[in-house]
Amino acid sequence: MWLTLTHGLIFLNLFKISVQLQNIDTNSFTDIENDYKYDSVESSLRYDDDRVNIGSQGYLKPIKNEVMSDLDNNKRVGLFSMEKPTKYPFKEHLELRPLPKNSLLSSFQFHLSSNEFSIDKSDRSNNQYSHYTVFPRSISPLMDNTNTRQVHLRFTHGIWDHENWGRLPHDGRKSGGSGVELWAVIEASDHNTAFDQWVKLSNMLSGLFCASINFIDSAKTTYPMSSFQPGDGEEIPLFNASNKLYLLRGALANEPVCTENMAPFIKLLPTKGRQGISTLLDGHKIFDSQWHSLSIDVTTVCESNSCHYEMEEFINVAINVPTTLARSVRPIPKPVDGSELRCDNSKHYDAWTCFPLPESIEGKYELSKIFGKYIMGSNSLSGYPTQTCVQVSDNWKALVKVDGSYFSTDNNCFDVKGEDWHDIYLETDDTTQVDPVKASPVYVTRSLTGYSQDKGGLRAVFKNPTSEPVELVYFESLPWYMNLYLSTLKIESKSGLKISDVIQSTYYLPAKDRERPTHLEYRMTIPANSTFALSYQFDKSLLKYAEYPPDANHGFEIESAVVTVISPVKYEFRTATLLLTLSTPDFSMPYNVIILTSTAMGFIFGTLFNMLVKRVVTVQEADKAMTATGLRGRFLVIKEKLVKMFKRPKPKSE
Amino acid sequence: MAVLEKLHRRIVDMGLVPRIIASLPKISIFCALLSISWLTLFLPLEGQYRRTYISENALMPSQAYSYFRESEWNILRGYRRELENLKDLDIHERNTIVASWMEEYGAKTSINTNNQYGETLYGIVHTSRGDGTEAMVLAAPWTTTDGLYNNGGAALAISLARYFARWPVWSKNIIVVLSADPQASLRAWVKAYHTKLDLTGGSIESAVVLDYPGTNDYFKYIEIGYNGLNGGLPNLDLINTAVHISEHEGMKVSLHGMPFVELSQDTYKLRLKTLLSGIKDMTLAGIKNTTGHEAFNGWRIQSVTLKAHGQDGPFDVTTFGRVPEAIFRSVNNLLEKFHQSFFFYLLLSPRSFVSIGSYLPAAIALSASFAIASADSILNNEYSKLPLLSIYNIWALFAFAVALMISFVTAEAFAYMPLPSLLLAFNVALSFISFTVIKYKIQKPFSYRFKAFAHLYFSIVLTSLLVVNFALALAVGVLAFPMSLTKTTTNATMQQKLRNSLLLMSSNPFIASWILCQLFEAQLAGTSLFHSLIDAWTQLGCWTWYVLCIGWYPSWILVAYSSIDSIPIVTTSKKSY
Repeated sequence: MWLTLTHGLIFLNLFKISVQLQNIDTNSFTDIENDYKYDSVESSLRYDDDRVNIGSQGYLKPIKNEVMSDLDNNKRVGLFSMEKPTKYPFKEHLELRPLPKNSLLSSFQFHLSSNEFSIDKSDRSNNQYSHYTVFPRSISPLMDNTNTRQVHLRFTHGIWDHENWGRLPHDGRKSGGSGVELWAVIEASDHNTAFDQWVKLSNMLSGLFCASINFIDSAKTTYPMSSFQPGDGEEIPLFNASNKLYLLRGALANEPVCTENMAPFIKLLPTKGRQGISTLLDGHKIFDSQWHSLSIDVTTVCESNSCHYEMEEFINVAINVPTTLARSVRPIPKPVDGSELRCDNSKHYDAWTCFPLPESIEGKYELSKIFGKYIMGSNSLSGYPTQTCVQVSDNWKALVKVDGSYFSTDNNCFDVKGEDWHDIYLETDDTTQVDPVKASPVYVTRSLTGYSQDKGGLRAVFKNPTSEPVELVYFESLPWYMNLYLSTLKIESKSGLKISDVIQSTYYLPAKDRERPTHLEYRMTIPANSTFALSYQFDKSLLKYAEYPPDANHGFEIESAVVTVISPVKYEFRTATLLLTLSTPDFSMPYNVIILTSTAMGFIFGTLFNMLVKRVVTVQEADKAMTATGLRGRFLVIKEKLVKMFKRPKPKSE
Repeated sequence: MAVLEKLHRRIVDMGLVPRIIASLPKISIFCALLSISWLTLFLPLEGQYRRTYISENALMPSQAYSYFRESEWNILRGYRRELENLKDLDIHERNTIVASWMEEYGAKTSINTNNQYGETLYGIVHTSRGDGTEAMVLAAPWTTTDGLYNNGGAALAISLARYFARWPVWSKNIIVVLSADPQASLRAWVKAYHTKLDLTGGSIESAVVLDYPGTNDYFKYIEIGYNGLNGGLPNLDLINTAVHISEHEGMKVSLHGMPFVELSQDTYKLRLKTLLSGIKDMTLAGIKNTTGHEAFNGWRIQSVTLKAHGQDGPFDVTTFGRVPEAIFRSVNNLLEKFHQSFFFYLLLSPRSFVSIGSYLPAAIALSASFAIASADSILNNEYSKLPLLSIYNIWALFAFAVALMISFVTAEAFAYMPLPSLLLAFNVALSFISFTVIKYKIQKPFSYRFKAFAHLYFSIVLTSLLVVNFALALAVGVLAFPMSLTKTTTNATMQQKLRNSLLLMSSNPFIASWILCQLFEAQLAGTSLFHSLIDAWTQLGCWTWYVLCIGWYPSWILVAYSSIDSIPIVTTSKKSY
């Protein structure tokens, strides 16, 4: 179904449109004219070519579902009410939350939805023209070609301060372990097909997001049993009833996340970073944060035979406010001027001595100072104006600044309207008082132990500070070159806990060299107010010399363990990644070895050859022969001949 | 082959082999002399050593401007002033207060309590740009090696970490460690870090220990400590970086306690002195008062100690702080572990070194001299034609096993009951065994075979030790050398007996090392050497005690036993040929 084109657009994209127009089904054409009023979109469509394209391919399918009221809601419902189908299925939202210790969490949330399509094969072939409105053109083929029903991609870097900042944003569902993490639900007839599709998917994503996701091979892929499960009430459609759904997961620990990964993220948005909250997304600021996480979730939602894709693109950033503000003033954090020193007057203090005061608790800043940019107007694509909410306690003042004047609202949520540049202003007399953070139900840290280069240990500390037991699933995927000994599993506990007290069930799939990783999943209960450590030992394998990465070798990254809390709350988080040192050869060694062995072989060959070819004689015989054959011997022979030559005439004369 | 054959025949023709065999004792002594002169006469010569250089290009020492100056100075003094007030507090209270300071600037702190060696405070500055899997350690024990309150060092560590926390450049976490002392307590922390600590910051790449006692603002020169336990040395690149940075800041660098006046000279004598004191310090690493960096030995951590010397001088305490700052900036640049430069070397001055290829001949010659002495005991007597499996060889082997057992028992028993005077007295008595045991005579072939086994074993010990711990191998080899000069006697004269006994006494592992320490190491006066040896093993894992007991002592026991007056025996076993 295609939309009539408004006059302002045609000249910009005439050729494309004329081609498209040939495909217009006239019946639907008239339908649309009847019940669709096309108004405000056009006003937004004059900025640039990109947007004209969107307009020209305009969207029209009404979607019946309710508006998603709570963005954090676990329940997945259709996002967009299209009773007045005037807008595109796109919604953006920025949530700001000051955290303790002078940090600010900014959560950029984008929700997109694709056109409906029919899962009926015959239907699809009839209508082979797929239509993309705001939904990125690159995502649908990716899902279609690999039969993927859900794909989840995470780029995370930095350290989330669980002790001070509490739980991760969105209860951890939108952030991965340090590096890249990918999991997907793939529909396939069997295991092997699923894996092939998975490889295809990871290769496609790799190209799309400029990351080494294609390095997720069978040795890095696991099939999670009880982690990474879809949310409650979430149904994953099966297009072919004889197929099955497969959940695959892989991660690249400490894959550097940088601007070249974020640029594709922004490109997927219809606003392309030029309108709405996406204008704030500046690589310099996002990647200069204490913690950031970029996530994409694409899911297939079906109702009888008609389906559509929903995409959530979240970018969460925790920024240390004073550092960031100071950096814009002084890019190099040189020592401050003596007059600006903040000294503790209660302690000894003079012109030479200054005991530093803690960071000032007064806070006063604008969003534009932190991100270096303004919110450049509302997105004009969807019926939902760009919204910015600030979650603060009462001692904070949150204002929106438009055209030099400040406004406030009761709920601290601001709709960005029109094309004016918006800015958010935050002020407080005590930055330590923030909207109370929800404490993490459990803390898990993990570290490597051991001394030698041939074996080591892995130790995970579980701490439950709450007064109720916590049920969780502990998921670990370890590379094959860590030869794990599950029999060495030990628990260290001051309160005398036994392994059977905490581990309810274990799923263990041992590694196969170069083929698959160790896959461990524990279902555990952490008793209230308890701390214990689980540890096990492993052997370090020797790698073939070509298996060492070609780049500078400082060790092998071990991906983070995933902790999925089931009760009392639903929560998910990752431990830190680890660095495993394997014995690394000196790579010039092979050449030394080659030289040495060649010499030895030459020597042995020479000796052997001599023994085979030469005759064994006694010393006397040898001496005799030497006199005959050696240089000296020859000389003697010649001499003798010469002597004979001159001596011969003599007897004749006699 | 023809050349080799000719050579062989020429040797046979000239009758060199018997001549060589006859002069084996002389060759043995020659090897020992060669070893010592190689080290002392040859290596410090101009042209025989090399100038140091930064091998790993990524290090780039002093390429970034160091900003630990100006108002950081006030803050450093602020912390130092407060630390002065905390001086008399209980260590736990002090740690708690300092932990709160460190928390202020965002470090995560934790106190590790070791019941035996006191508690250690450490704080981790997590850096946002790094991946959190690697760390650099800045350590400042509360008391220095000399037993002083490390006020300056601790204040530097705290204020440097505060300053570091502001910088976005770090790719590795920064860990500040404040331990009770630079020895057992710090070692216990490092051990705990790799086994049982809950708060960790990734694998440690390098460690810098700060030693700046007192509240004086100025110092004169800097000393870099680097000798690790059991012969372990930090990568030469780290030392080069530290030296380069210190000299870049204008300071003179001292090694092995070289006094200030000698720092600006570069003479043969001083190079020799540095070399020899380096070997001495390396031999006694862990036994002598440790400066702190030894604690990090193992686990592939490269570590150095920076020690400020002198109360007056042109250099300010922040200048001292800029050295670890620049070292951290350099190490931070590394993408790999330290691997480029040398791990085995001897320093002749801060800027010159000899690598393993150049100094190893000295130790090899020494171990060869013992092997030759062993060959001498087999070949140069009337019993040289005894078959391999003769009763004498078998009994000698058995005797060796007994000696080994006795040595092991001695080592363990002494560790439980350290009675140094008794040990020394017993060994002196044992040295004079040929005087006390008069009625009993040893069979002459036994005397030779025992010595052969003793020297062979000792040679093997030296050979296996010389790469791992060159200094110890050399020291042990030189000290034990008189042992190979003892003679088998028949109806010995008083003079012969005395000669043997004196040689034995001077080559006894305990007596010799004790005498050496009395002469050259003021820190180990009296019998403290033996306590230190045991402590070094139990606290730091330094195996010198066992090298003495199990490597050296069994050989000595055998030689001592063989020095008992012997009676010749006519061996009939020749027939079995």
